[in-house]
Amino acid sequence: MTDWEPKIVSFLCNWCSYGAADLAGVSRMEYPPNIRVVRIPCTGRMSPKFALAALREGADAVWVSG
Amino acid sequence: MITFKLNGKKVQGEEGQYILQVAEKYGVEIPTLCHHKALEPAGMCRLCTVELFDGRRTRFVTACNYPIWEGMEVKTDSEAVHQGRKLIVELLLARCPEVPLLQKLAEDYGIEKPRFKTEDDTCILCGLCVRMCEKMGNSAIALTGRGVEMKVDTPFHIQTDICMACGACASVCPTGHITLEKIRQEITRKQNVELIPSEYDMGLKGRKPVYVPYAQAVPNTPAIDRDVCIHFKTGGCKVCTQFCGVNAIDHSQEDEVVELEVGSIILSPGFKPFDPSRFDTYNYAKHPNVITSMEMERILSASGPTGGHLVRLSDHKEPKKIAWFQCVGSRDLNRCDNAYCSSVCCMYAIKEAVIAKEHAGDDLDCAIFFMDMRTHGKDFERFYNNAQGKGVRFVRSRVHSIDPIHGSDELAVRYVTEQGEIETETFDMIVLSIGLEIAPEVMALADKLGIELTDGNFCKTTSFEPVETSRKGIFVCGAFQGPKDIPQSVIDSSAAAASAGEILAAARDTCTRQPEVVPETNVVGERPRIGVFVCRCGINIAGVVDVPAVRDYAASLPYVEYVTDNLYSCSQDTQEVMTQIIRGKKLNRVVVAACTPKTHEPLFQETLTNAGLNKYLFEMCNIRNQDSWVHKNNPELATEKAKDLVRMAVSKVALMQPLEEAELEIKQVAMVIGGGIAGMAAARSLAKQGYQTHIVERSDRLGGQAHRLFRTSDGQEVAGNLKAMIKEIGDDPLITVHLKSEIKQVEGFVGNFKTEIVKEGKSEELEHGVAVIATGGAPLSPDEYCYGDDPRILSTLELDEKLMADDPELRKLESAVFIQCVGSRDDQRPYCSRVCCTHSIENAIELKERNPDADVYILYRDIRTYGEREYLYKQAREKGIIFIRYRLDAKPRVELDGKDLTVTVTDHVLQQPVQIRADLLTLATAIIPNKDEALAQFFKVPLNDDGFFVEKHAKLGPSEFATDGVFLCGLAHYPKPIDESIVQGRAAASRAITLLARKKIHTSGQVAETDPMLCSSCGVCISICPYSAPSFIPEDARMFAGKAQINPVLCKGCGLCVASCRSGAIHLKGFDNDQIFAQIFAVNQD
Amino acid sequence: MEYMGVEPDRLHFSWISSAESTKFVEVVSEITEKVKALGPNTHYVKKEAKVA
Repeated sequence: MTDWEPKIVSFLCNWCSYGAADLAGVSRMEYPPNIRVVRIPCTGRMSPKFALAALREGADAVWVSG
Repeated sequence: MITFKLNGKKVQGEEGQYILQVAEKYGVEIPTLCHHKALEPAGMCRLCTVELFDGRRTRFVTACNYPIWEGMEVKTDSEAVHQGRKLIVELLLARCPEVPLLQKLAEDYGIEKPRFKTEDDTCILCGLCVRMCEKMGNSAIALTGRGVEMKVDTPFHIQTDICMACGACASVCPTGHITLEKIRQEITRKQNVELIPSEYDMGLKGRKPVYVPYAQAVPNTPAIDRDVCIHFKTGGCKVCTQFCGVNAIDHSQEDEVVELEVGSIILSPGFKPFDPSRFDTYNYAKHPNVITSMEMERILSASGPTGGHLVRLSDHKEPKKIAWFQCVGSRDLNRCDNAYCSSVCCMYAIKEAVIAKEHAGDDLDCAIFFMDMRTHGKDFERFYNNAQGKGVRFVRSRVHSIDPIHGSDELAVRYVTEQGEIETETFDMIVLSIGLEIAPEVMALADKLGIELTDGNFCKTTSFEPVETSRKGIFVCGAFQGPKDIPQSVIDSSAAAASAGEILAAARDTCTRQPEVVPETNVVGERPRIGVFVCRCGINIAGVVDVPAVRDYAASLPYVEYVTDNLYSCSQDTQEVMTQIIRGKKLNRVVVAACTPKTHEPLFQETLTNAGLNKYLFEMCNIRNQDSWVHKNNPELATEKAKDLVRMAVSKVALMQPLEEAELEIKQVAMVIGGGIAGMAAARSLAKQGYQTHIVERSDRLGGQAHRLFRTSDGQEVAGNLKAMIKEIGDDPLITVHLKSEIKQVEGFVGNFKTEIVKEGKSEELEHGVAVIATGGAPLSPDEYCYGDDPRILSTLELDEKLMADDPELRKLESAVFIQCVGSRDDQRPYCSRVCCTHSIENAIELKERNPDADVYILYRDIRTYGEREYLYKQAREKGIIFIRYRLDAKPRVELDGKDLTVTVTDHVLQQPVQIRADLLTLATAIIPNKDEALAQFFKVPLNDDGFFVEKHAKLGPSEFATDGVFLCGLAHYPKPIDESIVQGRAAASRAITLLARKKIHTSGQVAETDPMLCSSCGVCISICPYSAPSFIPEDARMFAGKAQINPVLCKGCGLCVASCRSGAIHLKGFDNDQIFAQIFAVNQD
Repeated sequence: MEYMGVEPDRLHFSWISSAESTKFVEVVSEITEKVKALGPNTHYVKKEAKVA
């Protein structure tokens, strides 16, 4: 790809944001295709290590949403 | 089968197919403006022109209607074709220069300005509309005229009755030439040409005849509205069948009469929002900015017609001032027949005002015009106080009329202030807080079933059997029983289920079947053999994401042994094929790239189980809801994203291990703590459904506070009913009553509690599977209003005792005063005790009946006779009981001077202090909880600031705790009258039985586990877990004493402990560090 | 994050309920825009092994 597209690693809570993401799909909304979702059981599961690892692995940003 | 060459490649198609159809199948794009899948091709726009070589010479044909033949050669993208199309676009653009679609096409073909003379048409004469109208079985429009005169029109250009204004023509028009407006003005004679109103969006938005009622509907499948579907009017159309990839649409289905044999019926038909159109003075029907509260709910909703953007409907501008009018269609006998209070409107109006301010910012002015503010639910008073703090204005006034201001979209309101002055204010929007009423169909149903209704047309029940209708075996729950909010409806529904369960206990489990168990293959230690199944989901995924590319990419990933794509992975036949493949290819890990795991994970896990694989050796990746559906205009990046997601899932699944689901027996015994009304109701229901039950009661008798109550709000004597209930408990062989007993220690967890109770110094251990906490409440002993200084000053319960004893003094009273909110709704106890208004009014009426000459005063802050209790308030006023409102900052004063007992209060109408000489002063004292901290500790359940227990979910889980196996009812939850206590007792029993009836619990495999070697015994996990799953291994244990352990039965797999563990000693199975890291590492690997 | 030299806009937190799909879309768009403005992440990215 010539145009750079960022990759945003997104940690989404299974019960909240993951559901919102699904509903956005059901409602056929549109948003930029840059997020890569990692489903986690609850934002409580989130550890700073995950965010750091993602950035280290070349992710352009990290988003945690509960 | 016909074989021919398409752009040099050999392709195949069926006899009779056209070039375009075959090209589409092979993913070759041919532009067209006049083609529609469901219509016969017409070759009108000529844009699909392709080059055809028949062996000897080259010709140009239209791909949409040229049938294929053996050996032909077609080129879709040659220079000649391109030039031809460019000319066509140029000509079309010259005809319709303002059509965006053509402008876009022109840009694609590099046309800046057409060389031809431009016109100002918008119709390209593609004829889609005409063919569509014909398909509808109507043929109301046609292409009329010849040559340059040709246009889409009705015969003789006369508006026609044939047109049904279905809008099909407008829906297919590629240029926007045909609009609803045009249909209305030029085509149809029908008067009301409008969208089909969406019921869910309260008509603020349209919907299609084929529709899913709302995003969360269950089942989430579309339905056809036969009343508006054209097929059911003309026999034509059926366009939808052409688009459904699985032939699921059957227009020939008819209504079936199904006969069911049942032992019990539960009625939950709900309510109908009051229609305020008949209130002429509010202009609801005429003015767009006067809306109902239900419409406001949709406007505030993120998924609503305005996408959650708060606007007024007249001009879609953001409002600056909004007013809510309470009691529209409630507490009103003048303009409607609903004398009752709808119970929920005060709270929802406050909620809407607060949310509106959240949406629009603090500058938005929100005013609620009300008569009495009724926030009697749990934590509602706090919400009311907070709303005042946030600047929501509360105006105590009933507004008579709304006057539209001529020449503007604003509305004028004239009202009388508390001080008696007339004020005028203008608002941008007015929300009518409409009440709840029973629909005529429901009344007809009640008539058919032969059940009695109340004056308000609600289902008639009694305080002691609040969910039982007048006909045996038929139960009721929700708003049909009486206007109520969500928590109360949920409590009702559990109770109705329990009541039905009681009479059907003997039939339990007689209609169930056992599924066959497939033995699980052991895959531990095997090299991962991953199968990746990519779903096309018809065109839902494949229409955007390049599914074959994703599939082939998956095949290149490590450990992937098998890949395929399915049309619909979730269909039953695909499931069977998948089972065969998993077995045949000896797969030991499976990835399904399809929709969302939230809905489909269990289905695929079942497939794994059926194939003999542990269901946790599975990962789903969401390439529909979170990919194809949301990136439809970006297919390339969507395909990239799908590949990334598949790679992440494959990396994770390779590390998945089979997980065990622990199985645990549930002790088939219940314990109810507290023997009051709620506790007895719970125990009685449990026992009637066949479960052995212990009641542990601290005092020396059953019945609790109810012994001190005189009558219920529906006029039933409490004493007799209570006695009957206690007898029923005593006579039930399954119930053991432990009086004068206290709980000393509780061990264990859901299914296996061991509770030590102490009775008069002797201790006994009881084993039980579930516990119901019904520890009740008590009346506050007030330290104000001279309570205790004079025998004429009583608490409510003391007056009840005098009434029960028929104290002759009560018949001689000349003047009696009630003071409300004694200890409730103040700084110390910012909650409403819910029962006192009704109770005092009831007693005031009784005093008036015993001595009609007595003067009876009720000093109140807001009268909260919710639901049909409102009738009592009305009756009290008719009987001449005097209501005087006081403010919290000007409480009544009570003075004792020798023989004289005087109450002084500032009258809200006169604005003057009024002195009342009283023979009797009754203080409506607050209900306070038996704040039992020890018990909360024993069962690891929380108490709120007021000392009431905190339920699992304020709305959806009101009778249970977040801790499994522990349930809640009665005053321990929140102040409530007898009927609501009985209902909640039953509800707690009902919830408990859903657990008991399973006999065994299967825990989830995705739970946390400690590694005691690494654990540092810091205890953070124990304090942080909301479910009390971790604990220390006892100090006297042989192994790992003092280290943390996690009970898999209680663990919900949230991972809070994992993230908080400083020693890294906790693992969350199924979401372990290495598995999540694997996903993270796979994000960027190419 | 800043201390490490990573731009704060590379780490986002939000709270979205399962019904708030509109908010979800807004947040995603906003974050994507911010990140696009930052350009590719270069700090702390594991260096690819260079082949001589």
